[in-house]
Amino acid sequence: MPIRIDTRIVGREYPPFPVTVERGRIKDFARALGDPNPFYLDDRVGAASEWGDVIAPPTFPISFRDERADSGAILRDLGVDISRVLHGEQEFEIHRQLTPGASYLCRTRVADVYEKTGRSGPMAFVVRETAVTDGAGEIVVTMRGVTVIRL
Amino acid sequence: MRYGRVYVEDVTVGDDLPPLVKGPIQQIQLTRYAGASGDFNPIHQDDEFAKAAGMGGVFAHGMLSMGFVAQALTDWAGAGTVRKLGVRFAGLVRLKDVVTCRGRVLARSSKDDLHLVDLEVWAENQRGEKVVTGKATLSLPSRG
Repeated sequence: MPIRIDTRIVGREYPPFPVTVERGRIKDFARALGDPNPFYLDDRVGAASEWGDVIAPPTFPISFRDERADSGAILRDLGVDISRVLHGEQEFEIHRQLTPGASYLCRTRVADVYEKTGRSGPMAFVVRETAVTDGAGEIVVTMRGVTVIRL
Repeated sequence: MRYGRVYVEDVTVGDDLPPLVKGPIQQIQLTRYAGASGDFNPIHQDDEFAKAAGMGGVFAHGMLSMGFVAQALTDWAGAGTVRKLGVRFAGLVRLKDVVTCRGRVLARSSKDDLHLVDLEVWAENQRGEKVVTGKATLSLPSRG
């Protein structure tokens, strides 16, 4: 029986969750990518840089997760098994660089849900947007991700 | 390895981004990326699981390839220059695949102290099949 996607999920906002950027997590992330850029890995290079510390690689905010707000939570809401999902698209808009010790608030909402039939059959697309804001409420990073569900 | 500092005056529409070759992809890198990103979907770790899911076996996180594309940009222009990066995951990256990240400058604009360069970016496997396609905007310094 085909999976039916409940489009009432559109507009749903997930509980905001706090994150703190950790120095070790930045370095683990850069090393996992195999990116040896000293602005991510070398504290002395970071200290002498315009940011005064190491910075996070551009895609690092994908690691900002919360079990109540991540793709797992949305899949639970939709009743979809993780084995049926693919990452369709991803976008980052970086307004300010992330440095160790900084704390932010992440707010995720479901921006859209739509269905299409592709080469491999019917699929649903769930578009999520996450705003990462600082203590003053200013946006530091925005993320937009499209999760593809094979129906 | 060069860690570039590209000034906006050095960039011309049509310029190619220096290609960045990554891989061959190994399982250990996918496991490491799972730990670093928090994405522990077993479809990237467990071949049996991935086969049962109809995916024909383990494949890499799309975000790993996106990270490679970001590295191609920052290797060229410098860390902290990426203002915007948006991609579509066009094909699966498998174990042993070699991923080459490429790009081309589409536009250049300056307004006051803000100098932006738009690029078309993509990543392809060893057969020349595109696995990632997208666009990036970099914020570059000026010599002025």
